[in-house]
Amino acid sequence: MHDKYVFQVEGLNFGYPELSIFKDFNTKIEAGKRTVILGQNGCGKTTLLYLLSKNLKRGAGQIHLDDTDIDNISQREFAKKVAMVHQKNLIPHDITVEKLVSYGRTPHKSLVLTKLNDEDQAIMDDAMKVTGIYELRERPVTNLSSGQLQRVWIAMALAQHTDILFLDEPTTYLDVKYQLEILNLVERLNKERHITIVMILHDINQAIAYGDNIIALKKGSLIYEGDKDGLLDEKMLYEIYDTELKISHYENRPFVVTF
Amino acid sequence: MARIKAQRKRSATAKTIVILITAALLIALFYYSSVSGMLQVSFGELMRGLFIEGNDLVDIIWDTRLPRIMISMLVGCALAISGVLLQSVLRNPLADPGIIGISGGAKFIEVAVMGFFPGLFMIAPLFSFLGGMLAFGLVYTLSWRQGISPTRIILVGVAISAMFMGLTEGLGYFTGRALGPQMPQGSLNFKTWADVQILLYYIPVCVIAAILMTRICNLLVLEEKTAKGLGINTDRMRFIISVIAVMLASISTAVVGVVSFLALIVPHIARTLVGHDHRWLVPYSGLLGAFIFLLFDTIGRTVVQPAEIPPIILMSVIGGPMFIILLKRGDRKRA
Repeated sequence: MHDKYVFQVEGLNFGYPELSIFKDFNTKIEAGKRTVILGQNGCGKTTLLYLLSKNLKRGAGQIHLDDTDIDNISQREFAKKVAMVHQKNLIPHDITVEKLVSYGRTPHKSLVLTKLNDEDQAIMDDAMKVTGIYELRERPVTNLSSGQLQRVWIAMALAQHTDILFLDEPTTYLDVKYQLEILNLVERLNKERHITIVMILHDINQAIAYGDNIIALKKGSLIYEGDKDGLLDEKMLYEIYDTELKISHYENRPFVVTF
Repeated sequence: MARIKAQRKRSATAKTIVILITAALLIALFYYSSVSGMLQVSFGELMRGLFIEGNDLVDIIWDTRLPRIMISMLVGCALAISGVLLQSVLRNPLADPGIIGISGGAKFIEVAVMGFFPGLFMIAPLFSFLGGMLAFGLVYTLSWRQGISPTRIILVGVAISAMFMGLTEGLGYFTGRALGPQMPQGSLNFKTWADVQILLYYIPVCVIAAILMTRICNLLVLEEKTAKGLGINTDRMRFIISVIAVMLASISTAVVGVVSFLALIVPHIARTLVGHDHRWLVPYSGLLGAFIFLLFDTIGRTVVQPAEIPPIILMSVIGGPMFIILLKRGDRKRA
């Protein structure tokens, strides 16, 4: 049964002195699937992703990655298993696309003195090709559009060569065209490379279209967990978003009317 | 692939040329500096005096001028590298050990310990280091508010710096050392080979350590979350690099006093010449720092003979306006 889930969260507590966010929170992330975390602003989506990725230290409770408590996995070992694409990233000066992607190799190399070898180069080239930025590799990252830049960050994460990829609102700030590009890319990475995806999405229809499993949060509580079909219920949607939302159909596929 | 390599090589060639030119200028300056000043000798006389037969004039130059040249270069190198490291660790291009109080803290503890235990002369730099760490710790914790805010660190740093300067002066009255004609702060007059020796104990080791950390510096200028995501133990790395930076600044302070702006200006010039990659930036800033500090010391002691202007004063006169220009440029970039 453990093989089915990569992450298992049990009895998680987390909060700030003035504000408790998670209380006795449980959830699981299924291996090989695309899991989408949903919820209103401030419901704890990003906090959950940060707790799972060792960016925040939890209070009580347990978070297991492949049966090991993540506290017992070093930052470096963790970076070989899980890569993360953040919502907003500071763009470093004076660095080419390829160089930034090469940073993805960091967890696999010595920190002090190393040269990238052919294997590293092959992994980087592959990451840049699958994200469609190979032609841009000599360009400084400061000259890229936000859609291209997002793909560079994904390529950097892919260069970490992990089985699990986290994405924090990868489509926010992008035009629709680029949103779909990114989501299709993520889907392809999951289907062709069997990378387990955990992502936060704002758009409920994109969540339904691109997710297998849904974790829906509200004020730190789990409202829904399971495959996406269970989410398609008007009562459930009201529960999550505090707003009446109708479900309609387009070419036999259900969608949520958000207007 | 071949094209990338060619391009990389080209930019590496350009950077190498910049480094070679700076090195050549430094050698030329070293030569100019060693033959000019109050006592004039030709290069031939100098060489003969040093290596073949004794010459009183050359002996005096050997004992007074050469140590200060060596000190200028070592301190300039150390401070510039300290600045680059702090700017990376604090992710703040305006970080400077002088401005944020590290040098002030180093000076205070050193003066305090030496005032009461003058016999500990040879290990004075260690006390400077403790003082530098103390000041850095204060600045770091006081400007922490869910991460380090770039403006807060400068504000807190200026306050800490002023406090330690005041304490140092106050201590002078306490121990009676403020009496009598004082040597101007930061003069490199009366420096001896013993001072050079102190610097040589500590600086080369720190410089090598700094060069080994350059790859990590590159990753630390990314955001905290990004660096962590790449498997970097950011807290530990930040601490190690800070220790090296504080060490470099404190040792320099122990020997020449508080130098402001050098550690700020040199890395900025260096970035425009060799870029932001720390693998180039750290060594080149060291070289350029050595050149600029020696340049200021040489100007200071040759233009107003027989008087002299300490390099620190020249540094402040030129550095102050540069700091304002950098602040202004930063504003425009952010806007």
